[in-house]
Amino acid sequence: MTSLTPVQIPPQTIAAAPSPRRSARGFLGWLMAPERRGPMLVAPAIATLIVVNIFPLLWSYGLSFFSYNAKYINRPPRWIGLDNYVDAFTDPEVWDRFTNTAVIVIGSVAVQLVVGFLLALLFAREFPLRRYLLMLVLAPMMLSLSAVGVFFKLFYEPTLGFIPRIVQTFTGVPFVILDTPTKAIIAIICADAWMWSPFVMLLVLAGLVSVPKYLYEAAEIDRASTWRRFRTITFPYIRSLLLLALLFRTIETFKIFDVPYVLTEGGPGTSTETISVYLFRLAFNYFRTGRASALGYIVLFGVIVLTSLYLYAIQTRRSEAG
Amino acid sequence: MRGLQAGFAALAVTAGAALAGAAVPTPADAKDIIINMAAPDWLPTRFMQEEFNRTYHAKSGNNVKLVIDFIPWPSFYQRVAASLSSGEKKYQMLVTDSQWLGDFVEGGHYLKLNKYIDKDPELQAVLADMHQVLKDTSSSYPYKSHNYYGFPQFPDNLITFYRTDLFCNKTERANFLAKYKKTLPCYYNEWEQADWDLWADIGEFFHRKKGDKLGDGVADDDFYGIAYQAGKGYDFSSMQINTLVWEAGGNIWDETNTKPASGVVNSPIAVKALERYLDLLKWAPPVAKTGQMDIFVVQDLYMQGKVAAVVDWVGLAGPVIDPKVSKVADKSGFAQAPGWRKPDGSINRFANIGGQPFVLTTWNSDEVVHECLEIVKWWLSKPVQVNFAKSGGQSGLLSVIQDPAYFTYKPWNRAFVDNYQWQKDIWHIPEFFPLLTEQQEQFDKAITGQISAKQALDTVAAYQDKTLKEAGRIN
Repeated sequence: MTSLTPVQIPPQTIAAAPSPRRSARGFLGWLMAPERRGPMLVAPAIATLIVVNIFPLLWSYGLSFFSYNAKYINRPPRWIGLDNYVDAFTDPEVWDRFTNTAVIVIGSVAVQLVVGFLLALLFAREFPLRRYLLMLVLAPMMLSLSAVGVFFKLFYEPTLGFIPRIVQTFTGVPFVILDTPTKAIIAIICADAWMWSPFVMLLVLAGLVSVPKYLYEAAEIDRASTWRRFRTITFPYIRSLLLLALLFRTIETFKIFDVPYVLTEGGPGTSTETISVYLFRLAFNYFRTGRASALGYIVLFGVIVLTSLYLYAIQTRRSEAG
Repeated sequence: MRGLQAGFAALAVTAGAALAGAAVPTPADAKDIIINMAAPDWLPTRFMQEEFNRTYHAKSGNNVKLVIDFIPWPSFYQRVAASLSSGEKKYQMLVTDSQWLGDFVEGGHYLKLNKYIDKDPELQAVLADMHQVLKDTSSSYPYKSHNYYGFPQFPDNLITFYRTDLFCNKTERANFLAKYKKTLPCYYNEWEQADWDLWADIGEFFHRKKGDKLGDGVADDDFYGIAYQAGKGYDFSSMQINTLVWEAGGNIWDETNTKPASGVVNSPIAVKALERYLDLLKWAPPVAKTGQMDIFVVQDLYMQGKVAAVVDWVGLAGPVIDPKVSKVADKSGFAQAPGWRKPDGSINRFANIGGQPFVLTTWNSDEVVHECLEIVKWWLSKPVQVNFAKSGGQSGLLSVIQDPAYFTYKPWNRAFVDNYQWQKDIWHIPEFFPLLTEQQEQFDKAITGQISAKQALDTVAAYQDKTLKEAGRIN
């Protein structure tokens, strides 16, 4: 029978053979200890975030209290306190750009909700080639924003574009789309809605396909009208998703830059210059760096307010689902 | 004794050869020097890159590589300004617009070249050979001073491109004469007499609907008489409007004095000139109404065969005669742009000069500055400039443009050279871009019919006064 008594190792045997790489292994070992492994693996991403995101945010926040022109490397920033913020709030041009942005947001989001909803109703049922048609409908979302701007610029071109051509076939006179502020804003809304209606469709479709079929069957037995079925069965299931779509698209459209910049450069005049385009001009045409930083933070505040509403809506939906 | 002398001679020759060899780095000593240059993306700079790669050998023996960063014109200023302001120090050289000289010189980005020119007879020879208007506008800051910052990479000016199959068509000429009692210009000397009233007549005369007779055939689409730049981006309307203002006898704000802009910018003459500019747009293609008829749209519409005559930059003429991209390659002529008829019957011609100098940045080492200036000398050497001109480029060197053979290289060269005599320029002060952006916005509102010419110029004048006062440039 084998003895199971533990073997006593003399202390001097342990101390007799020290490893020359103990300190390095020890530090690495400490570093990669299980409790530290997670943070260490995430550290490079955090460092990148700090350098690319957090540091510029803090730096520009600091600059917003100075009068500074980034082009002149030999002129230091001059402290002016809250003057940049006061100027931004009292400048009629800023409010004009906010108005332009609000018009585009309201128009584009409304169109996206309606078109997206109708597309979702269409794709909620099976029909031949549904899958391929769905891929085509989703394609605009995959394009880059500036590419969409360029496409629509070509579409709208009065001499060579196909949309004016089609209209001219019926009217006999050249059709110019971007010559007045109203038409230019409608043109931007159409381009933006064309790109993002599929996104709304996806959200609403998720809600539509989750409606239990037996509810519709029961409603049919009870001879409920189409409108009644929509109001009492369909709409409650998609209401919160529509709200999510509304908030999400509002946040995104509020920041719209690429499409108006490429399509109209903010024209005619400044009628389609959104707050983001104006901010870009302030920062990179006029190089009023301090002023642009302050305005950027005002826009950020607006986005944070909208995002908070969005998060609240998500929370509400979770509690409804739960 | 003779043997000793021969020995000393051999030693001297050997020592001389060794010293000469030491002056030129051996392949082992040769350094790799990369010169990054920002440049607008078009033929003059594309040619420069190709020609450099093909022919350039650094006299120093170093391996010098020129890497041009081609940037689209509409965003050229923003990209360059952002790069310079960021401190990235990416570029050793830049092709800059002359108007930006003040902006970036005072920002500490462009290198003053006077001390290098003073030490280098070859650079002095280049400077002496340059046309005076280029020295004033493209090379020096302040305007017309002797502080040199650049050399012309590509000089440019505005000319007329016109359809020879229409303007030289017997039937069209006869009909035009019958209707307007004026000669429809076909030959270069006839275009020299063209004024803006004639342009209005041309615009009306060649405004045809699809199916109307046009030249020897029939218009396959709506056709338009005239076009010139009327775009909101960059300076794509100011250049043409400035031209009309000067020709009419008006002026823009003069940076060589401290008088305000009001009263000059919005003078009755300037208002009349802008009104003329706006009025003529009714004969341009409908894109003019959108305020997006920039220099590239004008070129494209002309190449697609939609317009009878346009005013555009010489730098854009090359593709017009390329049959691969132009439908009117074999039926295009080039002449001077129209002028303003004075009461005494003579024509007042002016234009806003175009073209770009190239400059060196302030953060280069002495070795890099030396190599950059060698590139400048190479580019502005006669063989390279002649080659450039034969490929569609233009030269600012008197020895090149005064050679009678220059007119034979490209069909627009005669108009380009003749135009040198009446070139002016827009401001070069550091506040140039804000002034230009505001001006472009107001002009865009006028072009799209939202405000009148007077309202536009009044707003521009007020803005310029405010900005210039803040900058301490006017009293």
